[in-house]
Amino acid sequence: MNDKHTETDPITLEVVQNGLSAIADEMALVIMRTAYSTIVRDSMDYSTGICDHEGRIVAHGMTMALHLGSFPDAMRCLIRDYGDKMYPGDIFVWNDPYDGGGQHLPDVYIVKPIFVEHSLEGFAATLVHQIDMGGIAPGSSAVYAKEIYQEGLRIPPIRLYDQGKPNKTFFSLMAKNTRMPDKLAGDMRAQVAACQTADTAFQDLVLRYGKKTYRNIITQLHDHAERIMRQEITSLPDGEWSFIDFIDGLGEKPEPIPLRVKITISQSDMILDWSGSSPQVDAAINCPVPFVKSACHLIVKCIATEKIPNFEGFTRPLDIRVPEGTIVNPLPPAACAARAIVGWRSLDLLLGCFAQIVPERVPAAGEGGVTFPSFSGFDGDNRFVCTEAWAGSWGGMRGRDGTFGIPNPGGNLTNQPIEMVEALFPLEITRYGMVQNSGGPGKHRGAPAYQREYRFLSDKTQMVMRSDRRRFLPYGLEGGAAGTPSWNIQNAGTPEQTPIPVMPMEPVTFCEGERFLHVSGGGGGHGNPLDRDPEAVLEDVLEQRLTSDYARDVYGVVLTKNLRAVDQDATQVLRATFAASKADQGKPAYLRHFHDTLDIENFRLIGEREMEINTENSER
Amino acid sequence: MSYRVGVDIGGTFTDLVVVGEDGSTHAEKLLTTPDDFGRGIAMGLLSVLDKLGTTPAAVEEIVHGTTVATNIVLEHKGAHTGLITTEGFRDVLELRRLRIPEMYTLNWKKPPPLVPRRLRLEAKEKIGPQGEIRTPLSEESVRIACDMLLQENVSAVAIAYLHSYANPNHERRTASIVNEILGKDIYVTCSSDILPEIREYERTSTTVINAYLGPSLKAYFNSLQVHLKKIGISAPLQIMKSDGGVMSVIAAADKPAYIVESGPAAGVIGAARSTKSENIITLDMGGTTAKASIVEEGQISRTGDYEVGAGINLSSKLVMGGGYALKLPVIDISEIGAGGGSIVTIDRGGLLKVGPQSAGAVPGPVCYDLGGQDPTFTDAILTLGFLNQKHLIGGGLKISANKAKAVIENKIAAAMDRDLLETAWGIFQIACGTMVRAVKAVSTYRGRDPRQFSLFAFGGNGPVAAAELANLLQMNRVIIPSTPGVFSALGLLVSDVEHEVSQAWLHHLTDVTPGDIDNTFSGLEKDLSTLMTTEGFAEQTYEITRYVDLRYSGQAHELTVACPSTLKFIVLDQLATSFGNEHERTYGHQAEAEAVECVTLRAIARVIVDRPELVRSSPVELHECSPARSVYFGPRLGQITTPVISRNQLSKRTNGPLIIEEYDATCVVPPGWQTELNEIGNIVLTREETP
Repeated sequence: MNDKHTETDPITLEVVQNGLSAIADEMALVIMRTAYSTIVRDSMDYSTGICDHEGRIVAHGMTMALHLGSFPDAMRCLIRDYGDKMYPGDIFVWNDPYDGGGQHLPDVYIVKPIFVEHSLEGFAATLVHQIDMGGIAPGSSAVYAKEIYQEGLRIPPIRLYDQGKPNKTFFSLMAKNTRMPDKLAGDMRAQVAACQTADTAFQDLVLRYGKKTYRNIITQLHDHAERIMRQEITSLPDGEWSFIDFIDGLGEKPEPIPLRVKITISQSDMILDWSGSSPQVDAAINCPVPFVKSACHLIVKCIATEKIPNFEGFTRPLDIRVPEGTIVNPLPPAACAARAIVGWRSLDLLLGCFAQIVPERVPAAGEGGVTFPSFSGFDGDNRFVCTEAWAGSWGGMRGRDGTFGIPNPGGNLTNQPIEMVEALFPLEITRYGMVQNSGGPGKHRGAPAYQREYRFLSDKTQMVMRSDRRRFLPYGLEGGAAGTPSWNIQNAGTPEQTPIPVMPMEPVTFCEGERFLHVSGGGGGHGNPLDRDPEAVLEDVLEQRLTSDYARDVYGVVLTKNLRAVDQDATQVLRATFAASKADQGKPAYLRHFHDTLDIENFRLIGEREMEINTENSER
Repeated sequence: MSYRVGVDIGGTFTDLVVVGEDGSTHAEKLLTTPDDFGRGIAMGLLSVLDKLGTTPAAVEEIVHGTTVATNIVLEHKGAHTGLITTEGFRDVLELRRLRIPEMYTLNWKKPPPLVPRRLRLEAKEKIGPQGEIRTPLSEESVRIACDMLLQENVSAVAIAYLHSYANPNHERRTASIVNEILGKDIYVTCSSDILPEIREYERTSTTVINAYLGPSLKAYFNSLQVHLKKIGISAPLQIMKSDGGVMSVIAAADKPAYIVESGPAAGVIGAARSTKSENIITLDMGGTTAKASIVEEGQISRTGDYEVGAGINLSSKLVMGGGYALKLPVIDISEIGAGGGSIVTIDRGGLLKVGPQSAGAVPGPVCYDLGGQDPTFTDAILTLGFLNQKHLIGGGLKISANKAKAVIENKIAAAMDRDLLETAWGIFQIACGTMVRAVKAVSTYRGRDPRQFSLFAFGGNGPVAAAELANLLQMNRVIIPSTPGVFSALGLLVSDVEHEVSQAWLHHLTDVTPGDIDNTFSGLEKDLSTLMTTEGFAEQTYEITRYVDLRYSGQAHELTVACPSTLKFIVLDQLATSFGNEHERTYGHQAEAEAVECVTLRAIARVIVDRPELVRSSPVELHECSPARSVYFGPRLGQITTPVISRNQLSKRTNGPLIIEEYDATCVVPPGWQTELNEIGNIVLTREETP
């Protein structure tokens, strides 16, 4: 207590903290408004941050949460390589996941050291998902790459600007290694502009307090963030919890890929241990460790009851252990372009663990993360690449149904306007909306699945994509049913309807006039479906989210003839029957109703949430 | 003498300002009558006119600003509304753009769609991006939809088809079928009429908001007109739009989505007009939030990125998703949760927080002694000595300074082991720090340097915090208008009549000829002239200006630049150059080699009017002149005995510290600032030293 007044007062601390966040938000705005490719400007797949002189993150923009946790590793690599050899006017660029703290090759860091009166005081850092970095597939996100060398240009930390002079060699090399040189250059320019904006604002901020005081303030704010984090952890019970989940697997004959996490809490410390997860695989879904750390940071922040400051000090109580050579910490040259699938799944694992620790704070599993398709081909003579990010179905939680139409907590992305897609690319979108009779039943049901369907207007459009959650359904909690599976279907609703694997191991080619439908996973349910308020079920029917047959078969809710009210007596009787009988194993009513809509019959549920699907037409 | 009347309806109070043709002003605060707004306005107005010794016949114009539309959306009290969309897309309204305004939350409450799913119906039709018909409209499918809406007894219908900005025919045909089946009285809005621009969610949402507001606003305006007529007022009634222009009450009933932000807009317009060509940043600090906006050389700044009911609107697409998208021109106002009622708390790590929760008007700050338990911003500034220690609103509200001090001491200072005054100062500092963000959102975020602007402060709390906020932003000049607490009502009377029409027009500048642009503009201008005629303006009374929204080919966000009207001789390069310059000014770089793409054409008609100069008004004198009091100005300056005067007593240039108490606000002039009155009675503060 005695040295208290030698510290900076808490008011100045708060003012500086806000000031730094404002700069990071300003950077994010510059990128949003000046970027060129739709994945950056419309989907907002990018991040901005401010780091201190040691490269520790002190502020981030309101951007893509799953990026932010990898900044620390990336900054360590930059400082390792350049240390005291950075100069005013330098700007660095890199994307290497293995020796640069990157995530995958499309995620390109552009970072500017900021000098205040001749000394290095911080960094303006940006990370943008670039539309194409070369490699085996347009969009540089092929699931089927086997080595990183097939995925595009791998850039270690190098100078993009050398004391203000552009590195022309790099720019011309880059232009020859991408399918979209104009967009890449434009988006990189947006990143540089964001760094320049931050430079001036940051210098003003530091000079307001003087460099010495500023550094002192930063130290205290890191400590403050650590203090809050420790108090949050202390308020949780001590103990050990673990959770296992699976990724469906690759290609036509997928083999499940297990992930495991164990959380140990002891007073104010937390260990997050990923031992027991699958060894790295021969496809591009290996997830470099910065992304897994990101997932841990993100979920811990989501779970906290108080807002955790963005100062890196908050990570000190977290001991994240990830064994090398596994899918969550692959060794080079493992391919990793589609690593996000493991990233999304690791969020589900962490939440599955926390659902055991603080059940009132955690929803059942959602759609499984962002589905990420890349369409490419030729519009006349011009090459096009259209990359989108689809999301939007959450699981139910105590006190509320799963939310429909908001992004996964890992990435606050947006969808791309249909009119914009149709105006820019030879694609027509034929539907985008809710799937009736989807999502997991529960006292609080999961959100329905969404669907988005394309018709191809030019011949030989190629699609590279990754999705998940067809075999291993989004988990339910506290007696809620698992969510509904995701589907990719070519020419849905026609006699030629063909399912496409969740992660096809080669590009799928569509002829002019063909269609592609994606149905997302539906959110998991929370609590016993037979406890759902019949009026809430009625509302679901009135809102045409569920049919009245579904209400009867799944929830035991019988409606009056005009379908405007609940038949209370009949409902009571039916629910009593349901409660007494074992639910139909193998083909529960909710999955039957869901699949009827899609005209898919050959499926079987094993246990609570594993689907066995036979899609061979001959066996139907 | 004839009079013009400004009426600004808020939740608790209705502010009334009457301006004579000699420029004299009279302001009054009335209680709002929510059961029938028109009655309160008419009765209040009658009594004011009576006080002025004049009659309703002397009123020649009434301009009205209202939060009624905003509140209908916030409280979900709009019409039972149906929506007809292109087949396959009825959920666009509910899916929105996905993004939410918070990170790290698992429990975000998404605003429910204004039209439930059962009232969202689909028609078989499809138009392509160039306006080409891909699937002809199935009238049968429209009729089926209408029959269902008829059964559901809707009173408004929104129609929003894909790409209708490029071809409105399907929507128009649908509207006539709706009228045929649901009757002539049904309120119908087509997306191609309200917002013919690309991006379906934003256009659909805007259309729905218009239909949702329509029936109630129409009824509200009718009742207001009836009440005014009853007391003998036949003057035209104008409604303030969100973009600061005014429209006739008839047009407003047709397009109520245009008036959603009319209240805050009026304040900014008032500021812009009373400072002429100065560069100012406005600060409107009330009970719950502080709002900032930027005015450059008399030009207000507008945006299309707006959401109704988003609560805090940082004027930034980063925090979108909290409300309902309304993509119509709105004065670009950033709003942040810092006001008189903002509650003070301490976080787990021991840092002080102010807002965004507010104690509101009831129970209000602890010092109101109406049962409030949580320390607020007002309690802190009362503790510092900024406010009159016994009463506010010229004696209208008794307050307890002791209660304020006790709550700050016991709940905050003691917990942080700090001195009372130091703590209260800290609270003041943090609130100012929050407001800095609102100011930055409209200045530095757009490449403008606040040091080159004056701070124009109004609202109940604006004049208290203005000088300190200016210190933090290194701004050197602060302006406090007369009647700062009812300033928005005054702003209503200085707005111009302005109407805008726009048309999506996606083309590369290199692919078009001046003639192409000119033709499209001519069409727009014809629509605009028709609109102006129905609004009652002859051709020679207004000017039309052309604007183009441009971007580098491939970007998603446009910048608006003025387009020369002598288009026959237009050099398209000139447009590209102005765009490049604006891009550089806003983002710090331009890409000269890039192709420039045109997205939207806009034509704006402005009515030319001669407004009387506002003359120095005679504000209500305080009942008693307060004695000098001890005021705390931070650890460096400590407590200083500070004189307290009224605005009229400010006869010459005076050094701070000084407190100027008025009926509706208190202005704090800290040490290091000088102050004087300018020719129209505004208080002007000038910074003499760097803090």
